[in-house]
Amino acid sequence: MARMLTFNIFRYNPQDSASFPHMQEFRLEETESMTLFIALNRLREEQDHSLQFDFCCRAAICGACAMVVNGRPGLACHTKTKDFPDKITLMPLPVFKLVGDLSVDTGTWFRGMAKKIESWCHTKKVFDPNAQEERMDNALAERIYELDRCVECGCCVAACGTALMRDDFLGATALNRIARFILDPRDERTEKDYFDIIGTDEGVFGCMGLFGCQDVCPKRLPLQEVLGKLRLKMAFAAANNLLPKFLRREVRL
Amino acid sequence: MSSIPSYATHKPETSCRCSAYLDWLQMLTGACLILFMLMHLLFVGSAIISPSLMNGLSKVFEWTGMAQIGGPVIFFLLLLHFVLAARKIPFASKQQGIMIANARRMHHLDTWLWVIQAVSGMVILVMGSIHLWTVLTNLPITAQKNAMRLQDSRAWIGFYIVFIPMVWLHTGIGFYRIMVKWGIVGIDGRPGLRKKDALIAATAMVIGFMTLWRFVFLSIN
Amino acid sequence: MQIFQSDLLCIGAGLAGERVAIEAADNGFSAICLSLVPARRSHSAAAMGGMQAALGNSAMGEGDSPDVHFADTVKGSDWGCDQEVARIFVNNAPIAMRQMAFWGVPWNRVIGGEQTYYKGGKPFQAYEKPENEGLIHSRSFGGTAKWRTCYTSDGTGHAVLYALDNRATQMGVEVHDKTEAIALIHDGSTCMGAVVRCMKTGELRAYLARAVLIATGGYGRLYRATTNAVICDGGGMAIALDTGVVPFGNPEAIQFHPTGVVPTDILVTEGCRGDGGTLLDVNEYRFMPDYEPEKQELASRDVVSRRMVEHIRKGFGVKSVYGQHLWLDIRHLGAHHIHTKLREVEDICQSFLGVDPVTQLIPVRPTHHYSMGGLRVNKDGAAYGLKGLFSAGEASCWDMHGFNRLGGNSLAETVVAGMVIGGKVVEYLKGADTVFKTETMRDAVAKQQARIQSLISGANGGEDVYAVREAMYDALILGAGIFRNGKDLQESIARLNTVLDRARKVGLKSSGLGASPELSLALKIEGQVKLALCVTHAALNRTESRGAHTREDFPERNDRDWLTRTLATWPDSAADKPVLNYEPATKVFEMPPGDRGYGGGKTIPMDNPPEAAPKGANGKAQGSEK
Repeated sequence: MARMLTFNIFRYNPQDSASFPHMQEFRLEETESMTLFIALNRLREEQDHSLQFDFCCRAAICGACAMVVNGRPGLACHTKTKDFPDKITLMPLPVFKLVGDLSVDTGTWFRGMAKKIESWCHTKKVFDPNAQEERMDNALAERIYELDRCVECGCCVAACGTALMRDDFLGATALNRIARFILDPRDERTEKDYFDIIGTDEGVFGCMGLFGCQDVCPKRLPLQEVLGKLRLKMAFAAANNLLPKFLRREVRL
Repeated sequence: MSSIPSYATHKPETSCRCSAYLDWLQMLTGACLILFMLMHLLFVGSAIISPSLMNGLSKVFEWTGMAQIGGPVIFFLLLLHFVLAARKIPFASKQQGIMIANARRMHHLDTWLWVIQAVSGMVILVMGSIHLWTVLTNLPITAQKNAMRLQDSRAWIGFYIVFIPMVWLHTGIGFYRIMVKWGIVGIDGRPGLRKKDALIAATAMVIGFMTLWRFVFLSIN
Repeated sequence: MQIFQSDLLCIGAGLAGERVAIEAADNGFSAICLSLVPARRSHSAAAMGGMQAALGNSAMGEGDSPDVHFADTVKGSDWGCDQEVARIFVNNAPIAMRQMAFWGVPWNRVIGGEQTYYKGGKPFQAYEKPENEGLIHSRSFGGTAKWRTCYTSDGTGHAVLYALDNRATQMGVEVHDKTEAIALIHDGSTCMGAVVRCMKTGELRAYLARAVLIATGGYGRLYRATTNAVICDGGGMAIALDTGVVPFGNPEAIQFHPTGVVPTDILVTEGCRGDGGTLLDVNEYRFMPDYEPEKQELASRDVVSRRMVEHIRKGFGVKSVYGQHLWLDIRHLGAHHIHTKLREVEDICQSFLGVDPVTQLIPVRPTHHYSMGGLRVNKDGAAYGLKGLFSAGEASCWDMHGFNRLGGNSLAETVVAGMVIGGKVVEYLKGADTVFKTETMRDAVAKQQARIQSLISGANGGEDVYAVREAMYDALILGAGIFRNGKDLQESIARLNTVLDRARKVGLKSSGLGASPELSLALKIEGQVKLALCVTHAALNRTESRGAHTREDFPERNDRDWLTRTLATWPDSAADKPVLNYEPATKVFEMPPGDRGYGGGKTIPMDNPPEAAPKGANGKAQGSEK
């Protein structure tokens, strides 16, 4: 016997003066292997054409469909209804500007973040189309990719108490991005350059160690370790000139 | 480069290390207080075995000057640690609401632990000050003096019934947070650490209450 | 109404769009990218496998060269490609890969010494030269003579897109995300920009630019079952077709991927088979060697897809509630290999199917995957019909893929075409002056405003847009699936005609205020049905089988009559069918038509086969970094 699912969905269209924020209840019969992608599309096509939500790749690769499912941020496309009780509450991600219903504007936030932390390889070299590529150790390439796997879904920011309270906090995704560039020898920025970006209370020292980020990251990035090592690295970067030689440390990520 | 400021500044050097230094201090004061609390536990806990053992230890502290100097130093560390940690604690009720709503919505243990730590921190500031003041203005510390204080007024018993768990919750969670925040324990180690840490804090709490029990029923003569 | 003006307007901010924008920005021009989603969510990110470029660093890629790559590409296309373009592509691909490495892509690198690889499910040893240690490595992909596919674990598209978007951010390329171009602004000869709907507020805006690039990806979402992202809806092609002068090249050239998972149609990478994954039937019997003794599971996609359907039709399919499927087996590759090299594949199986590929079989079936057809452009990327309009990537028919593209060639095309066409756009911008006629712009915007009003008020009728889309799905797959024939295609066209009629009578059920997803779809449904009609008419007309276009009633490849490219235009927007014209598939024959060496089938030869032109006579490699 298929379950009858009850969806409680946040509704608000800021562009409609008659609309106000409220929860709306929908009912839908569960089918086999049902994901929220299947369920939400059916609700829109069969019950309410105005329902807003974002999906793109629907394969957990692009990060478009992050929303708060029964209290926890996650990607809707790989959320299977069978893992949930028959009442499912869907809310848009906090922190990001609401577009309507479950749809939020993550693009502006992440573009702003990329500009703020200068998310690119800083180099004085010029590309030579006729030259062989610079060599890199395969193990290092794999370590860079490990951190580069972030899909900018915004779950880590939405689950972070610090980011919720303070809108100037960079968030785990930005700190992880910096760690990726620290690992990458193609980025010629120095430790001091990195310290200027993240060595503040808006950066790595603002992290209060709640690790909501680690616990919700749909790509299972090692955010807790990245943040921990970054804190240690930046803390020693600041303290090394005060410490006696035998206590100084060059922290490697 | 982001080190080039986009606004006028009177500082020749834009990078400021103060956040890093303050974070170091917050962690180090916390770590010192954790160490102190463990030694304090052994010290007063010795009364369970024998009040005269505790009195003996107390004499050593007195004779070496540790009590007279160490006491106020601990008091200072406590205040400093509070001021440093308070930079992160929200005092505006709106922010407090956001934090609690987030913990509740996510059913997220670590966020709840942080809320407990923030609340217990406030309580310890007040009760710890009272405790330290009372003890340090009546040196040397002896088991009999403690017993007298508790047997004189039930309010003191109530005071410690609240104070002891607050201290060990805060100390236990604080230790756990230092370990994960500073990258000492990895991702896989976190649940295990949480369990071991809870066990240690609970043991400390039990020893604390046993000591309290001992003092309440200690014959003063 | 807001008006934005820039030198270059890129519609689409995936790899091709952003790469062209970067080239313009590098040369001091202003560039704005429009995108349905934030740039990094573009469908380019979903390409897992890799990019083909003849670097020849790896042991199994030794002796590789652009010439070998060229031969593979032309064979793969079943001689349907433009050989000039294929040559430009293969010569520039290594440069583009190195440039991406320079910009930060963490390509997997060669590890020197004895290494274990898999082929056909069996491990073997290959000796990687120690002197190549640290150079870009490559893996095996279907339809290639050498291991040529550069990769980053199995997130190549993601890693390259992130590196490229980093570069775009650095160069000040603006991305206006959550916007949709709903019409081009043009005067019949020159393209001046686009009418754009903001999908955050629903407002209309005008974008004016001296050069406009369409890089919106494929039109997979004309099909119900497709591996494409929901944004690959043919929107860019529809607005170009709507001009009446820009032709849609080879609409019938559509590739199906052998390994879409059942039931969600999410793609598992060809890398699975490249690394040694095998296909099994209902009896868990490995059937591909029976059909393709030499290439086995690694024959080109169209061949594997067709063999799978053929095998299912023989009664060897696995029956399920979602229809029949086959099995993909990667268990023998081992937990370590799957955890590291095929992690995204493992994720997909666990998250969407609840299957553990280390111990279980993966249910797969051929699914719509790639659109070889697109806006016909010349080798410089300039669209036929409108000055100032360019196109690159899957949206275009630049045409290096012909009737079948090789895995790894399309992802490489995005950055190679982006680099080459970017250079041509820069040349154009340096010499081009345009007059922006405000009345043309005003008319174009007013026309769209009127459309929106009549959709909201229901002036044309009350057809439900989602129901119309369902009808389109049903009608299209009937004729234009993997196997095609005249009878089904005619039925398909008849039904699509009815659907087109309904699409013109759509009225909204909701208010249409703000971002309104219903309005978005309603604005493009007519264009989508027209694209579907282009596909079916072109498929019906092409009475041969070539590459992915397989006519059961015309099984031969007919080089005598059909070594041509379809050019579909829709001059009268009120008409019910496109106008089909044809041009020769290629002007230059570096490689005269021959046998692919896989796929079987007969060929009707050309009456006067051409002489082979000298190797690499055209399309010298060109650097682009300043």
